[in-house]
Amino acid sequence: MEIRLEKFSKSFGPVNAIEDMDLAIGDGEMIALLGPSGCGKTTTLYAICGLHRVSAGRIWFGDREVTHLVPQERKVGVVFQSFALYPHLSTFENIAFPLQIRKESNADIERKVKDIANTLHIEELLGRRPGQLSGGQQQRVALARALVRRPDVLLMDEPLANLDAGLRLEMRSEIRRIQRESGCTSILVTHDQVEAMSMCDRIALMHKGKIQQIGTPDEMYHQPKNKFIAGFIGNPPISFADGVVEDGRFVAQGLSFELPDQIKGASVSAGQKIAIGVRPEYLQPDFATAIEGEVTFIESQGREILYDLKLGGGQIFRSIQSSEQTCKLGDQIHWGIDVNSVFFFDEQGVRL
Amino acid sequence: MLPASVTVTLFFVIPVMMTFVFSFTTMSSDTGILGNRYIVTKATILDLTEHGIDAALVRQLGHKVFRFNDAGLAKIREIGLDSSLVKEIEEKLSGDEFASEKALFAALKQLINRPRSFKHRKAISKSVVNTITNQEFRTAAAFRAGLVANGIKVDDATFGQLLDLTNTSWRWTTDNYVELLASDFTFKILANTAFYVFFTLLFNVGFALVLALATFYMPSGQSKFFRAVWLIPRISPSVIYVMLWKWFTFDSGFMSYFLGSLGVEPENWLNEFPWTFVIIVNGFVGASMGMIIFASAVLAIPADVLRAAEVDGAYPMQQVRRIILPLMAWPILFITSYQTLSLLTSFEYILLLTDGGPGFFTTETWALNAYHTALSNYFGNLRYGFGATLAVVLVFFGVALSLLYLRLFDFKKLVAEPLIEN
Ligand SMILES: Nc1ncnc2c1ncn2[C@@H]1O[C@H](COP(=O)(O)OP(=O)(O)OP(=O)(O)O)[C@@H](O)[C@H]1O
Ligand SMILES: [Mg+2]
Repeated sequence: MEIRLEKFSKSFGPVNAIEDMDLAIGDGEMIALLGPSGCGKTTTLYAICGLHRVSAGRIWFGDREVTHLVPQERKVGVVFQSFALYPHLSTFENIAFPLQIRKESNADIERKVKDIANTLHIEELLGRRPGQLSGGQQQRVALARALVRRPDVLLMDEPLANLDAGLRLEMRSEIRRIQRESGCTSILVTHDQVEAMSMCDRIALMHKGKIQQIGTPDEMYHQPKNKFIAGFIGNPPISFADGVVEDGRFVAQGLSFELPDQIKGASVSAGQKIAIGVRPEYLQPDFATAIEGEVTFIESQGREILYDLKLGGGQIFRSIQSSEQTCKLGDQIHWGIDVNSVFFFDEQGVRL
Repeated sequence: MLPASVTVTLFFVIPVMMTFVFSFTTMSSDTGILGNRYIVTKATILDLTEHGIDAALVRQLGHKVFRFNDAGLAKIREIGLDSSLVKEIEEKLSGDEFASEKALFAALKQLINRPRSFKHRKAISKSVVNTITNQEFRTAAAFRAGLVANGIKVDDATFGQLLDLTNTSWRWTTDNYVELLASDFTFKILANTAFYVFFTLLFNVGFALVLALATFYMPSGQSKFFRAVWLIPRISPSVIYVMLWKWFTFDSGFMSYFLGSLGVEPENWLNEFPWTFVIIVNGFVGASMGMIIFASAVLAIPADVLRAAEVDGAYPMQQVRRIILPLMAWPILFITSYQTLSLLTSFEYILLLTDGGPGFFTTETWALNAYHTALSNYFGNLRYGFGATLAVVLVFFGVALSLLYLRLFDFKKLVAEPLIEN
């Protein structure tokens, strides 16, 4: 089922948490709501499932407008960040709860609970109470409870936040597989970009109550719309430097190079202040546009090595290299950047 | 550990034990609480005949002789009469005997130095009187010696009977329990108590739950106001609170006035519906406490759990029944058992409101009856022993009910396993 938010706004008293958000999610699509803490991810999720009343705008599930429907009538499965299992009920009763509320027959309930428990590998846990489960087990029970009544929409609020790295990896693909199988339209709230990129069809990046960009992980990485997105996506993060346009060149202290043609052709004028963003993989020893600086930081990450290069103007550029370590701390070196892969931003941070 | 057990023993165990012990005695304000006293009173003498004691013996026990022997004369010298009178008595009356006080007084009148005042005549009579009647003996041996001194001979069997019948002090007995079982009022009071506790509890706990849940689903400003209002009965002094109710239900009170404007005859509504008001008055007081506990218990339920119930399709009533109430089992158990016990044992509101009336035992509950029996008796004879018996039964009911509640609420399951292992 398709989900559409039209000019959705939500304010808590004087605080505007969300302003004029438009978002469309295709049938069976899984989208990640990604963004820093407090940007309004949970608020958006709660509005979609009906726990929050919207302040303005409309919400559609397919052709049905649900803006003013109570949560009980929306057929939405939600996995809460705290799991929110019913502490007095066994795993079986927890999963069966949404079915029992809808007065399904005992035989149906038994069958459906067993099915979903099988899928999520929690058959042995059905008799236990939430207090007797590990975090990862609780998470799967919460997912089972959200999925058991075959919801039109599945909402997950940072479901993997409480898990260890190994379990997190495993659950990523598990959730994705189950979501594909059940075909429900899903929203995954996270502030882990790797999680967002690896699990979802598209990412909606939020900042200060607004969606900054929606796209595939690839688009987000290679075609960021603005400086915030370029800075948020990518790990290790991108390096920025400020400068001005002079004679078709980017000029900053200790750094100057010819602007690529498509930037020159665009609306930059001489004297305009712009900023560049260079991803670490586009600063390498043998790239064309030379820059000079001092190595101020070296970190070996096993397969790769991370360097910080301090330019004459004080700007720090990050580089990630997979070859052997070629220099040591304090060395003055000449490396190069790939100008065609550099992002240029105007003074408002919009990418040129 | 030690101070705790001393305190517990001193203030909790010993009183209960003492009550239990007292319940097997006939203690009352007539007997006092000290040990044995044997007195032959006029009343006992009447009793003796009824218990088949030989009439001659009874006559002897009631018999008085006024004898001017050495002992009597010695006492007369102590009174402080005129020495001439004393001398004359010694000379003229020594060795005489009189069968009645009247005869003695007549003889005294014949004396030249006869005593003028009644006080002196009475003092002389008292000095020479020889009788067992109204003499108080602390031991059986003293009683026996007293009898011998008065020339009364009894065989051992009769003496045993006499000891029993003249002993006015308390005795060990199981009669209190027998009386309790046999009394027609026992059942009436028991039924009253069950009625009172059950319906007040229902009102109490039910109302407290409704208030707590209603205020939970209310905006916070309103809910605070409501909770504060319901605390008023609890924090007002009981006498004033009950006075307000009495004024409210009086036949020229607010209720009659209000109903009067609707054309209803004024009545003393409290007399008309005593139970209704007893339950309401107690219920309002108890509800506030339950409400506070329940309201905080509802707030302690994680918000996400209720949100989950909501998106899982549960409407407020279903949330209450399937999530909120089960998660509040503990506070409900606590309040129910606490209120049961306090309703069983406390009676001040009924005492102030109806004092067990109107009429005979209409709203008399067990605790109130124990109070009436032991501490505030209409007949003036405070029956400590029987009151203690009533109290013992109350303690027994309290313990039995507490155990029942723990059973009912599956105590073991409710107590979560400790997270910190030893
Ligand atoms: N009940 C509320 N009352 C007032 N402000 C609120 C309320 N709930 C959320 N907010 C505000 O709305 C904004 C968005 O909150 P939201 O919970 O959606 O953030 P989030 O993106 O989920 O953050 P996180 O990643 O930390 O969970 C925040 O600034 C927050 O302070
Ligand atoms: Mg959140």
